[in-house]
Amino acid sequence: MRSRVLLWIWLACDMALFVGSYALAYFLRVGWIFSTDFPFDRFLTTALLVAPFWLVVLATTRTFHLTRNQRTLRNAAYIVYAALVGVALFVLTYYFRYTTFFSRLLLLEALMLSTVITLAWHVVFQTLQRRILLWDPPRFPTLIIGVTRESKRLITMLQQRHNPLHPVAILDGRGANEKEISGVPVLGKLNKLEETLENYRITHLIQCSDLEQSMNLLSACRQRQITYLLLPSLLGIVERDERVESLEGLPVTMVSPQRHWWNWFF
Amino acid sequence: MRAFILAGGFATRLWPLTERRAKPLLPLAGKPILSSIVEQIPADIPVTISTNAVLEEGFRSWEKTCERPLEILIEDTRNDDQKLGALGAVRQWIREHHVDEDILLLTGDNYFGFDLSAFLRCAQGPALLAAHDVGDRERARAFGTVILGPDHRTIEAFEEKPLSPRTSLVSTGCSLLPKSALPTLMEFAKHHPDNVGGIFEELLRRGDPVECFTFTEHWFDIGSFEAYLEATQALVGDHMLSESTAILKNVETRGSVVIGKNSHVEESSLKNVVLFEGCTVRDCVLENCILDRHCHLEGIDLTGKMLRENSRLVRH
Repeated sequence: MRSRVLLWIWLACDMALFVGSYALAYFLRVGWIFSTDFPFDRFLTTALLVAPFWLVVLATTRTFHLTRNQRTLRNAAYIVYAALVGVALFVLTYYFRYTTFFSRLLLLEALMLSTVITLAWHVVFQTLQRRILLWDPPRFPTLIIGVTRESKRLITMLQQRHNPLHPVAILDGRGANEKEISGVPVLGKLNKLEETLENYRITHLIQCSDLEQSMNLLSACRQRQITYLLLPSLLGIVERDERVESLEGLPVTMVSPQRHWWNWFF
Repeated sequence: MRAFILAGGFATRLWPLTERRAKPLLPLAGKPILSSIVEQIPADIPVTISTNAVLEEGFRSWEKTCERPLEILIEDTRNDDQKLGALGAVRQWIREHHVDEDILLLTGDNYFGFDLSAFLRCAQGPALLAAHDVGDRERARAFGTVILGPDHRTIEAFEEKPLSPRTSLVSTGCSLLPKSALPTLMEFAKHHPDNVGGIFEELLRRGDPVECFTFTEHWFDIGSFEAYLEATQALVGDHMLSESTAILKNVETRGSVVIGKNSHVEESSLKNVVLFEGCTVRDCVLENCILDRHCHLEGIDLTGKMLRENSRLVRH
């Protein structure tokens, strides 16, 4: 419920900020007046009409996804892309409705403002969202499978970045000696899986070891509507150069040699 | 004489097969391991089975399928940390039930193929231990090893999980402790509640004789996925063991295949596979796999997997 309310607030704010950034671009270009040559109401109506479509485009970049970090270059690129589509939609809609064009500079300003404002708001909102989702009890209690250096790093990172996936318990297939890692209790072996999922009301499970049990962990997750995550290091991919791609419609994890940064696009 | 079967382990290495059932209740070649053990015990010997609170329900259900009266002793523990220890459980039973007889001590997860009556007939007073030659010293490191004297009967030394075994003859989960050894057991168990094998070392240390019953028949310590498959292969051979209620259509089998009750297998190839009750397998290639109850597999190939109850893997 908490996360859903936050998501609706986020979507509503994004819509308002999109319209607001276009309005700001109007006043910056036209001056702080309502021009009769270029009526504000037409401009605003068009921005209001385009806003939901822009939001859909933005959503397709999965920027609102729980695990997306807003402070990444990739996320910024997605927001720029959505803003560009927003401007294109705006021009088309305005022309279709009023069969007229207007200042190209205004469009550039609208593009820049909608990008910067959206990105800044996303960063701020994510910070707020993460704090709220971590209020006791945390919204997304997460079970970590495996006591490994990789899992220790993961737990520390999730905690330091206030990630909404909040590690609450650890199980280890081989039976670890540690009693806790960064304050997260190591509860025992996998025979405690069911009771741990039940007692801690786990919503996410991150597998960091015991690859041979992936099917069984996945099966337990499916039965309890839990989201399952697997660290690529379990498959021997440790260099952070993997991508999830599609091979004839089939999702595959791909690791390919990259000679230049632009190879990413091709 | 009274028989005491240790069945209170949480069997974490056999997860997920032991997620909802005790290891001694795992079916081996179509029958729970524990049933095979209990059937071997002469009818005039009262049998007590010791387990823990988590596994109680399974034992109560299994008890109803047994024809002989049994005593199920529930240790009030719910996880590994609270366990009394195997020898601790024996100690508690002796103390609370004022046991003052010879004890036939058995572990519920060991399958042995020898005749238990022959073992009992072999007992001539001292403690008696059933031992099996695993044929490989490296393998013997995981067990208690038994060093025999010149008469090939009297045990000279007992070493629990030695780093460098002197022999490949290992202690199995079957022993007989005479009434005279009980005070030693009570004292030893107080300080070493987990060390079942240690009681024989202790008896030898005190100068009490311990004898050995060596057998060549099958023996399996069902402690892991590999051990479970190995035991199935040895007992079933290159055959298919199928329950009458199982349905098979166009199934190719190789090696040992066990099909549980109400399982349904179609258009599939199975090699060394155990299916528990109510499994559905269609258009699959399975090799060295164990599927727990009500697994549903369609259109996939698996090798060396142990799937938990109700797993559903359907290729769309």
